[in-house]
Amino acid sequence: MLFLVQDGITNGAIYALLGLALVLVFAVTRVILIPQGEFVTYGALTYASVASGQMPGTAKLALAMGIVAFALDLYAARRALHVRPIARAFLTNIVLPGAVLALTSWVVSRQPPVGVSIALSLVIVAAIGLFLYRIVFQPLAHTSVLVLLIASVACHLALQGLGLLFFGAEGQRGPAVLSTAFTAGTLRFTGQSIAVYAITIAFIVGLWLFFGLTLYGKALRATAVNRLGARLVGIRTTLSGQIAFLLASVIGALSGILIVPITTLYYDTGFLIGLKGFIAAIIGGLVSYPLTAVAALVVGTVEAFSSFYASNFKEVIVFTLLIPVLLLRSLAAPAVEEEKD
Amino acid sequence: MRALLSVSDAHVSYGKVEAVRSVSLEVAENEIVTIVGANGAGKTTLLSAVMGILPLKGRVTFGGENLARLEIEDRVALGLGLVAEHRELFVTMSVQDNLELGAFRIAKAKAKISLERVYALFPRLKERRKQLAGTLSGGEQQMLAMGRALMGAPKLLMLDEPSLGLAPIIVADIFRIVGELRASGVSVLLVEQNAQAALRIADRAYVMELGEFVLSGPAKDVAANEAVAASYLGFHHEGASAI
Repeated sequence: MLFLVQDGITNGAIYALLGLALVLVFAVTRVILIPQGEFVTYGALTYASVASGQMPGTAKLALAMGIVAFALDLYAARRALHVRPIARAFLTNIVLPGAVLALTSWVVSRQPPVGVSIALSLVIVAAIGLFLYRIVFQPLAHTSVLVLLIASVACHLALQGLGLLFFGAEGQRGPAVLSTAFTAGTLRFTGQSIAVYAITIAFIVGLWLFFGLTLYGKALRATAVNRLGARLVGIRTTLSGQIAFLLASVIGALSGILIVPITTLYYDTGFLIGLKGFIAAIIGGLVSYPLTAVAALVVGTVEAFSSFYASNFKEVIVFTLLIPVLLLRSLAAPAVEEEKD
Repeated sequence: MRALLSVSDAHVSYGKVEAVRSVSLEVAENEIVTIVGANGAGKTTLLSAVMGILPLKGRVTFGGENLARLEIEDRVALGLGLVAEHRELFVTMSVQDNLELGAFRIAKAKAKISLERVYALFPRLKERRKQLAGTLSGGEQQMLAMGRALMGAPKLLMLDEPSLGLAPIIVADIFRIVGELRASGVSVLLVEQNAQAALRIADRAYVMELGEFVLSGPAKDVAANEAVAASYLGFHHEGASAI
């Protein structure tokens, strides 16, 4: 019994991270981030590829998206071409992913240490997340939630297809972040599960500090609370959107890197994992961070128990959780009309 | 006096309905200008359009710069501030956080000085600095909205119905502070239904009716105008005629 709870908490911790990212992105940009799962897959498989000496296609994708993003920046600034913002855009959109691509191709043939593979994978996926916002969601920022959702589904399908192209149909596993293990009573703790707990907790504490203490963190919260109010004090919606997408892609990639040593990941596995984070986010009403984290632990535990006792129905049971929750929420809360802006 | 804000021949529409028609106005440096008029005359619409929230046809310049292509955030950076009718506070954040965010674009050292100034102007906010903005009373929220706008060190502060729904004693306080703002070098464009109070502190006034300015001039003259008195100041002169 206890080991199922342990298993559930390990999974739940990952869902919690993903759920938090979904809540954050929705609150700030109104985008329901379906491609969150692709960030997980990309992070995991980029890490596994680099560690096994293969060149990940994601590094090239990052550069290609950077070039498109730079072209969009140039087009947007066509009426007033100033040197400094353009140089900055060139640096983040082209020089950075270009350097990462060069570094990756240099590193892969040399058996990089685990830390280097992790860092490279995080930077690559973070860049993809940032450019995804610039290319797709920033131009759509003023549209309705529905339009954003449809664009989000499109991004998910496109990124998943590219995932198949980059990593093939076969699953991969990556090397463990920590390879030690110890036994306490009836429970066995592997180094990897300890890493999952430690990194999840560290990340949540880090996010809490970021949102509570830094001006940029507060600006992000402010945008989530009142978009017009934020604009009236000079906080750019695009800046908040960029930070939100950056955090979401880093969180997704990190989750992927944490689980890929435990489970085999395929190019499309991320979607299902992201979806479970989404359930947690829905239970949290897409607004509450603590509720989302608790719900994620519940989702993880339910999943662990159902995969042990009724493994065929594992996904059925987990996703069925949504129905009573939505029913309860719809009874408890009055109908909310879509925000107009 | 040099015109700080200049609007000429402005039109603002909601779809096919034109809410503001061919309006021109000017606010000079160190001046309090008020726009009075009945509910629905288009005052709020005009302010929103000047701020860049609604699209405006016509020409708006601020400090000599054409605002046509500028986003809300760029207008804030130029020194234009708006305290919107609904205040647009960050209700789940503390009073102090709201104020600090007001200085988002300002250097940290400057923001500290701004904060002291705002606390001196509104001692009530200092007492409640740890409280969530959403738990403040209406008057305190209005003070916070004004304080937050002042944190960004605007050259011109546009106030949209600051007295709406507030107790008379608080309204008096808010109008006193508007007067103090001018003394510290901030121009004010004040939109009010409470015409009496607005005309008392303003230098110049515009009267708006159904999307158009029907009268303008020094505030004293506007206040003395019989038709204005009849329509907005709540008392009748003998033989008042409609404007």
